[in-house]
Amino acid sequence: MSGSLLAYVVRRLVWTIPVVLLVIFLTFVLMRQIEGNPFRTSERAVPESIQRNLERKYGLNDPWYVQYAMYTKGVLTFDLGPSLVLRQRTVNEIVKEHFPRSLELGGLAFLFAAVFGIPLGILAALRPNSWLDYGAMFFSNVGFAVPSFLIATLFIYYFVVQWDVGFPTSGWTNWESKVLPVVALGLAPAAYFARLVRGTMLETAQQDYIRTAQAKGLRRRRIVGLHVLRNSLIPVVTAAGPLLGYLITGSFVIEEIFAIPGIGRYYVTAVTARDYSVVMGLTVLLSVIVILANLVVDILYAVLDPRTREARA
Amino acid sequence: MVVQPGEVTRDVGGPGAYAGTAAGAPIRQTSLWRDAWYRYIRNRAAVLAGVVFLVVLAYCLVWPAVSPYDPYKVDFSQARQNPSLDHPLGTDRFGRDMLTRTALGGRVSIGIGFAATIVILVIGVAYGAISGFIGGILDNGMMRFLDALYGLPYLPFAIITLAIIGDINFWSMTVALAIASWFTTARIVRGQVITLKENDYIRATRAIGARWYRILLRHILPNTLGVLIIAVFLELPAVVLGEAFLSFIGLGISPPEASWGAMAQEGREVYRTSPHLIVIPSVAIAVLVLCANFVADGLRDALDPRTRET
Repeated sequence: MSGSLLAYVVRRLVWTIPVVLLVIFLTFVLMRQIEGNPFRTSERAVPESIQRNLERKYGLNDPWYVQYAMYTKGVLTFDLGPSLVLRQRTVNEIVKEHFPRSLELGGLAFLFAAVFGIPLGILAALRPNSWLDYGAMFFSNVGFAVPSFLIATLFIYYFVVQWDVGFPTSGWTNWESKVLPVVALGLAPAAYFARLVRGTMLETAQQDYIRTAQAKGLRRRRIVGLHVLRNSLIPVVTAAGPLLGYLITGSFVIEEIFAIPGIGRYYVTAVTARDYSVVMGLTVLLSVIVILANLVVDILYAVLDPRTREARA
Repeated sequence: MVVQPGEVTRDVGGPGAYAGTAAGAPIRQTSLWRDAWYRYIRNRAAVLAGVVFLVVLAYCLVWPAVSPYDPYKVDFSQARQNPSLDHPLGTDRFGRDMLTRTALGGRVSIGIGFAATIVILVIGVAYGAISGFIGGILDNGMMRFLDALYGLPYLPFAIITLAIIGDINFWSMTVALAIASWFTTARIVRGQVITLKENDYIRATRAIGARWYRILLRHILPNTLGVLIIAVFLELPAVVLGEAFLSFIGLGISPPEASWGAMAQEGREVYRTSPHLIVIPSVAIAVLVLCANFVADGLRDALDPRTRET
């Protein structure tokens, strides 16, 4: 049994390598398609000779495959290269400075979503078609549809401008400044969790083994706690993939609104400044995170549910 | 044959219950689509959502033509009014009527939404059908490629695509959003094609000598139609939200044209004094997304009762 699990994990790990290489390649190809050159914009006119030197220094005149090979080598040794626009800084430094904030924001929002959304889904599923259930599903549907920029702006409007409960409108320093962005970013994932947990629990409750448990006279608490809950939380693990997508997309907007100097905000700046190496570095970083998250999810899923090992090779 | 308890409960609410086969009544002929229609109109939430969806569409299409206000005419003496009888949704900071502007913004948002959805379906169906129908090494390779694309996060992918096209307008937004989000549809179509391929009627078709393109175009693809209709209402809200996010971070189409997301971004700058300017376009987005989600759920229940999601 554990042998097949080990084989699955190894196979899944080995598959990740070409996928990461392909993502680096795709990002590289995409970035090369963008018109223009960071040193040839009219805003930053420099003499022709200096331009040549700069292009040579950053390898912009090498053939594409040389650039690609150099870049892949850099990524694999955790060196994302220098920033093309901010001469004194490397992409690694930028990541080191901005990424922890985004990571904290995303992590806290995920925590909020799990702590708030999962119990809500469980409660709704325990009393289907009750007012609690309707309320939870209303929240879930609306939380899913309302764009996070509205939620964030309303938070600022009411909590800061109107009622002034002591939260600042921007920044990422003390815990007061973190409450509003985290909740604004976490609401949609919480809605997603609530809906998912409710759905899987109601589905599990109809399974034969639940009927058997009822038939042999187990108490409801034991049936729900032991059989329903455990089995219906397994699919929730797979939710982490799409959830990460929401968090990344959401953080771009939330960081913009609350002026949090994180990766999302920097990303947009780097795109408009045509800072290739920063955009590439950040894209590759985000992609690798998504790929690794999917890897962890798949392995967790295989550990929790042995049936998937054969099916998902 | 062992009857699964689950099947029994399903049949109670299954097609027969809606198609007029009550005891004694003459058996009417019924088609898949009529069955689906009956199932759909019994779902009150889905019907309501569908009606609201159509109303929003009609408002966006018709209102700019009949509105007494010119949506482009700047009049600073009328700027940033709160909702009133003259202007039911108030005016923006250039004094333009918000009810008319919102309809116009809806044209852009929903237009991009539908255009991108069509592109997504075309790419997704072609990719998924080829991969699933041919199978083997090609299928494996195409799916690994898809895995890699899945690794690229949605918004950064769309932003890079926009940067490649260079120009931000209706069509570049459409292409960028579609290219960043066709993968799920491709996977669904592939799964569907692989399932259908093993059906007996496909084998029979092959046995009597039908060519592969005839099998694919005549017998397999028409049967994926149900999945594709659902996909429209799953992709549309995702694209509308994606477009709104892009516009909100400043990568939207430029004024005086505006999508709902671009309007929200404009409104964001004056949220302290005129909160309605960000609330109205955002609520419009929310209503559209909410309706599309409910319609998608209703369609899924109606077209494919087996995979009913609670």
